[in-house]
Amino acid sequence: MTGFAVLVVDDEPGMRDTLMAILEIHGYRVSSAPDGDTAVTAVREGAFDVVVMDVRMPGRDGVSVLEEMGDPPPNVILMTAYAQEERLRAAVNANAFAVVHKPFDMRRMLRLVADASRAFQNVSEVTQ
Amino acid sequence: MTAWGIGKPAVAEATDRARTPRKPVRMRLRLISAVTLAVLGGAVVASSLVVHNVIQDQERVLLQERAGEAASVLAGAFAGVQDSLELLGTLALTDQGHPSLFASAARLVITTKNEGVLVTARHGTGMAVTAAAGNAPAVGQAIPADQEQMARRALSTTGMVSAVLPDGSRRWLAFAVGNAAGPGTVVWERAAFSAATSAQLAGPWGDLNLALYLSSRPEPAALLAATTSKLPLAGGTAYRFTVGAETWLLVASTPTPLVGTLAQNTPWLVLGIGVLLAVLVTTVVEAQSRRRDYAAALVEERTTSLRRAVTDLEQAQAQLVRQEKLAAMGQLASTVGHELRNPLAVIMNVLYLLETMAGAGASEAMRRHLATAKRETSAAALIVSDLLDYASGRAPMPAPVPLADLVAEVLSVVPPPTGVEVVQRVEPDTVINADRDQIRQVLLNLITNGYDAMPDGGVLDVSARSSGDSARITVTDTGMGMDEETKASIFTPFYTTKLRGIGLGLAVIKRVVDAHGGTISVQSTPSVGTSFTVTLCAAHTMASLPP
Repeated sequence: MTGFAVLVVDDEPGMRDTLMAILEIHGYRVSSAPDGDTAVTAVREGAFDVVVMDVRMPGRDGVSVLEEMGDPPPNVILMTAYAQEERLRAAVNANAFAVVHKPFDMRRMLRLVADASRAFQNVSEVTQ
Repeated sequence: MTAWGIGKPAVAEATDRARTPRKPVRMRLRLISAVTLAVLGGAVVASSLVVHNVIQDQERVLLQERAGEAASVLAGAFAGVQDSLELLGTLALTDQGHPSLFASAARLVITTKNEGVLVTARHGTGMAVTAAAGNAPAVGQAIPADQEQMARRALSTTGMVSAVLPDGSRRWLAFAVGNAAGPGTVVWERAAFSAATSAQLAGPWGDLNLALYLSSRPEPAALLAATTSKLPLAGGTAYRFTVGAETWLLVASTPTPLVGTLAQNTPWLVLGIGVLLAVLVTTVVEAQSRRRDYAAALVEERTTSLRRAVTDLEQAQAQLVRQEKLAAMGQLASTVGHELRNPLAVIMNVLYLLETMAGAGASEAMRRHLATAKRETSAAALIVSDLLDYASGRAPMPAPVPLADLVAEVLSVVPPPTGVEVVQRVEPDTVINADRDQIRQVLLNLITNGYDAMPDGGVLDVSARSSGDSARITVTDTGMGMDEETKASIFTPFYTTKLRGIGLGLAVIKRVVDAHGGTISVQSTPSVGTSFTVTLCAAHTMASLPP
């Protein structure tokens, strides 16, 4: 089991729950947030290695949450069902670890989460 | 509003088309000009000839009038001679032995010292002078043979005869009336004349060349006087008049035209001015014809371009309506598609969860059902993606994408159906610079198309390799292949030969590949198979790409 902490942010309960369940099966410690504000608070309070976050949410969207993440920010994998190009480019510029279009292949998502966890670990080691 | 752009080349085309029939128009113009010039030229020449003839006639009439005048003056001058001679004869008859009366009367007749009057009578076989006055031989002297001959003529003629009698260097103008001083007598008047007398002949007719013959014909021997040595006079007019019993001939011609130089040259003037006018009129006619033709061509051109513009406008409007309809449909499709993506994602997650949770303990039936659910969900996701990609036309966000991973992932999402064997030949280092999700879509579509082309099984070859700046992906099936007609239409949106599907797969592929600046080509042989080749930028060229 990996033991890395993952925060799943999505306003859709179905997506949130299934993603949490799958990540837990694969050994991650998973928390969830239903919107951007909660996610920002959660990231500031808890230490997450990886954030898997929907772009389009009521209130603050995933990209603006990404911009407000603490320092050093966790690796963020953004999910989107929409082709909002400006927001996606902003996400890339705000150093999103990856952008994944829904629906996605779960094996790829798991690989990305694993890569993001290791990358964060490496950064942590370097900064220590 | 791009449709308005169509208008410009259309106008240019219309101009080109208007230029094309110019050649026959020019030929026609030339013909009109030539005919005009010929007609006008003919009219000018005819007018010139008419004027020439009129002037010639005028000249002739003038000459005749002048010659007539001269002739009547001459006739008048000699009209009194016969009377004088008859009177002198009567005086000579009554004067027998007393010649003083005759001499007194003769002096009245004689005006110059060149003139003389005499009376002759038979004397033996010849003739001798019986009375004389002025420049005349003495009384009793015989007359020369030529005079004798003339005397005989006078005696046999009623009225006065006349002749030119040469006498050494001089010549005599001699008049003779027979039987005037009794039977057998002849009364004479004679006058010596020279070149000076000839010159005097001209007198008031100095503008004429005159030749006076004491004969009805222009015989050189009968020539009394001429104003020129060039005889006979050519192109002149002849005027006959009576002097005594004989007819004299006055021939007249003109060294300079009587009608005047201007009149003489009028035909040439008419010709010259006429030709100038003809050329001018032809030029004007041609210019007008050209203008009219140009105007006609212009009107035609404008009409054509107007018609074209109207057609373009109608097409543009129709296109606009169509585009708006499409846009509205696209909007709807986009909204529905996006809303379907979230539930599809959740369903796929659930299926993954179920598969994982069931693990090794799952029954064969359950595994099969799960696989079916996954496959159908993937198909639904693919359709939604196609629709959204086609409707949105999202610009690619390029990043380095290792092709081996991507191909493996796609093949795991759409595993080959039963009977199809997949050969994967992707060179490990092949990395492209592309939008991963879009190229994934391209591969998904190409691979599922390949499966669909082989319902009875076959081999699907997926290969990729990079060379230089480009990478080439080839997906080849051993399926049914396509005919030329199908091949020409495969990239058209909503074109499909399948029972399932909406016909957007290849249209999306084309759009994505084009958006990446790549190329796609297809080779297909019916019953043998189809091969799609996509060429894209290799990743190591990314540094050279603009940001």
